[in-house]
Amino acid sequence: MRRLRLPLLTLLLVAAACAGPAASPTFAPTSTPGPTALASQTAASPPGITLVDDEGTTVELPGVPQTVVSLTTATTELVFALGVGDRLRGRTDLDLYPAEATALPVVATYQGVHIEDVVAIAPDLVIAGGNNFTAAGDVARLRDLGIPVLVVYAPDVDGVLADIRLVGQALAQEQAAEGLVGAIEARITEVTAAVAGLDRPRTFYEIGYEPEIYGPAPDSFVADMVNLAGGDPITTTDPAVFAIPLERLVTLDPEVIVLGDAAYGICPDSLVTRAGWAGITAVRDGQVRPADDIIITLPGPRLGEGLAALALAIHPDADIDPPTAGTEYCSTL
Amino acid sequence: MSTSVVAQRRAAARPAAWIDRLRHRPAWLALAGLVVLCVVAVAGVMFGSVAVPAGDTLAILAHRLLGWPVIVTWPASAETIVVELRLPRVLMALAVGAALSLAGVALQGLLRNPLADPYVLGTASGAALGAALALLVPVQFALLGFGLIHVLAFAGALGAVAIVYRVSRLGGLSSLSSVLLTGYAIGSLLAAGLAITMYLSGQTLRQIFFYLLGSFSLASWPQVAVGLPIIVLGTAVLLTRARSLNALLLGEETAAHLGLDVRRERLVLLAAASLVTAAAVAMTGLIGFVGLVVPHVVRLVAGPNARALLPLSAIWGAAFLAMADLIARVSGELPVGVITGVIGAPFFLFVLRRYRGGYEL
Amino acid sequence: MSGVSLELRDLTLSYGARRAVEKVTARVDAAEMVALLGPNGAGKSTLLRAVSGSANGVSAGGARRTGQVLIDDVPLDEYDGASLARIVAVVPGQSRVAFPLRVEELVALGRIPHEHPLLGPRAADHAAIDAAIERVGISALRGRDVRELSLGERQLAVLAMAVAQAPRLLLLDEPTVHLDLRHQVKVMQLLRDLAKRDGVTILAVMHDINLAAHFFGRLLLLDQGRLVADGRPSDVLTPDRIRTVYGVDPALVAVARS
Repeated sequence: MRRLRLPLLTLLLVAAACAGPAASPTFAPTSTPGPTALASQTAASPPGITLVDDEGTTVELPGVPQTVVSLTTATTELVFALGVGDRLRGRTDLDLYPAEATALPVVATYQGVHIEDVVAIAPDLVIAGGNNFTAAGDVARLRDLGIPVLVVYAPDVDGVLADIRLVGQALAQEQAAEGLVGAIEARITEVTAAVAGLDRPRTFYEIGYEPEIYGPAPDSFVADMVNLAGGDPITTTDPAVFAIPLERLVTLDPEVIVLGDAAYGICPDSLVTRAGWAGITAVRDGQVRPADDIIITLPGPRLGEGLAALALAIHPDADIDPPTAGTEYCSTL
Repeated sequence: MSTSVVAQRRAAARPAAWIDRLRHRPAWLALAGLVVLCVVAVAGVMFGSVAVPAGDTLAILAHRLLGWPVIVTWPASAETIVVELRLPRVLMALAVGAALSLAGVALQGLLRNPLADPYVLGTASGAALGAALALLVPVQFALLGFGLIHVLAFAGALGAVAIVYRVSRLGGLSSLSSVLLTGYAIGSLLAAGLAITMYLSGQTLRQIFFYLLGSFSLASWPQVAVGLPIIVLGTAVLLTRARSLNALLLGEETAAHLGLDVRRERLVLLAAASLVTAAAVAMTGLIGFVGLVVPHVVRLVAGPNARALLPLSAIWGAAFLAMADLIARVSGELPVGVITGVIGAPFFLFVLRRYRGGYEL
Repeated sequence: MSGVSLELRDLTLSYGARRAVEKVTARVDAAEMVALLGPNGAGKSTLLRAVSGSANGVSAGGARRTGQVLIDDVPLDEYDGASLARIVAVVPGQSRVAFPLRVEELVALGRIPHEHPLLGPRAADHAAIDAAIERVGISALRGRDVRELSLGERQLAVLAMAVAQAPRLLLLDEPTVHLDLRHQVKVMQLLRDLAKRDGVTILAVMHDINLAAHFFGRLLLLDQGRLVADGRPSDVLTPDRIRTVYGVDPALVAVARS
């Protein structure tokens, strides 16, 4: 009997531990009492907010969220731009703009969402990134714990505008959202008009150079931006692939190269030293220009300025107001 | 070589006195293991990236697990963290730790190879490929906390073992090295498939990568409810295989001469070990090192007698993995496989040196 | 515990078309001590394997069997692995140990056919283990790792394991290979003791004719699978026969039995 005791005991302990919690209901955190009553006093509309997020999931909010956690950099920027940055209680480790954002605690990194930290904040709303930017498992976990999660994903520029409106609706800041959308649309109109009569050069937007050359995938957000900015985007062969072989690049022979990796120290002078690049038209003619990757690719409120910056990188002489946001790289002045 | 030098060498190879004493008292080791296990389990529930005061933790546990009428003084979020997040995670770590250790004991004994671990027959590569394929397929479903990735990882793990079994004709009597080599070959083939899949996966590459490194961060009660019975079943079967594993110590022929139904025992050991490994890998990804090292450390101290080796490996393996998970958690959610390697390897080398018995391969 | 009889009736073992053992008929009575001799490839080990049982999924290396093997006048096929192991013990010529294993733990393996499947060894089993170690004379080596022992000491340990199994039929496959003279004699004396005192039936494949002739009362000589002689050493080992079977010219010297 001695020999059986140990395994039996272990099994019993495990069984006891299981039996307990299974009997109790799953706990759902509630928001702090009080402010939820405010929304019901404004109009005859029901106090809650119902939204459909970019994955088609219906998200029901019992009231206007006062405690918000952002799991994407664009969302963090957006919430501040909507004027309600004080409601944010958590961000990702890459959210560095605006400066006030850096004071917020980090609750998500590349490795995933720190579920415990999010639960401890007890948010009314969590905004996550679609297309697995935020791991689907983490989103499901948060929802299982009773936390409303709104998933946003913008595959193109129109998607960004829709997301700004969506988040604005979620935070009951529709007017501010329309203002942001309007500003971006104005910039789009300005850029489109300015490049309308110009050539559309073959444009390669370099996202990275080592260990492989990284560029936009076909039908991707960046390709869309390049199109709007008056360029003919050179893309990879497949929507799931971001690496482009040098041979393909040389064959497609871009006339303009925009350095999205300028922030990492890649400047136009270095291209001519790269093996095999000297023959590319853009390099030969010196049509290589740096750009601020963040404002161009981040699906957030500064996108309009990003589009302007990209258009000026492709058409330096176009009639476009210089961007009022973003950083200048590789200035040789 | 003079007699005295030989005698000296022999004396040096004798294990340290403390190991000797423990060997004859497996019950002490078991008790110590259980104590460590409880301490680690409680610590695992107490600590994490969010600080929940120890008093609150114990009160929450008493309130929810034992039903004591304790006055609620803690925030609701704390209760969620302790009961919904940490508790299933600790339980999962204990179960997987025991499962992998026992699978390691079974496979090392069956294959008579000290380098065997639960993944040696292709389970790791099969699970990884299954998981990667699941991430490529644009079908999403969630049932009881499990998605397509778990189902395909489980199927992949078992599928790989089945292939190795068939290909090496393990059903008949075949050389054990052919089994190992087949396992290696199939594993490599699957790994190549995995590499291709990862290359094609683009954005989901990150998910596959972190899944492969192993993590308990998504453990939840529904998962525990499904996964735990499978692991408990396989573990229970393995714990009763002591006699078979002992008989196999001198090889399959001797085992047959000692009355063992070798064909049947081979199948039972293989099936049970593969089942628990597949379940563990499907739920938590690839956690290496536990299944390889825990049996060795326990064997070095308690001897190769499976009647002690099996339960002790289960207990200490559970405690080890729960502790590794705790460390992984408080150091910023590192993948637990990294921690098991970083802690396990030096410790193993330490015990190996003290014992100075060494291994023949 | 008295020994059991072993009978072979027209035993033929073939690998495909090749016959390793051909129509061997012989009977070993209880408590008899018989040696199986023959040059390399004569089929001795194959025969021994067939006798030790093709049950339990470990076949005699895939050989097909016709003819009968009877242990205690019961056909081999009617025994299941467990009951056979309580009667028959096998001492292999060489064994590989993959993990650190102490002598006493090795000897303890011999009790597996007798011990309770779940509860393990009980008092009677421990007594048998101690007795076996004592009997074989390796008490001083109890706590030592088997892999550190000399070949002779290791063989004694394996023999102790067989003794602990309390068999009624003991089969040995070349038990004295690689042993020095001292250990060879020790093993032989132990076998004789087992046959005399405990009445264990012993069948041993021997490669050393001299040792076999000295210690065994009956020899079975195999040549290319066939049994060419069966009887006392003096009758079996004639110069002509040795010349025919082994291909060497012997000089026979009679030595008094000790």
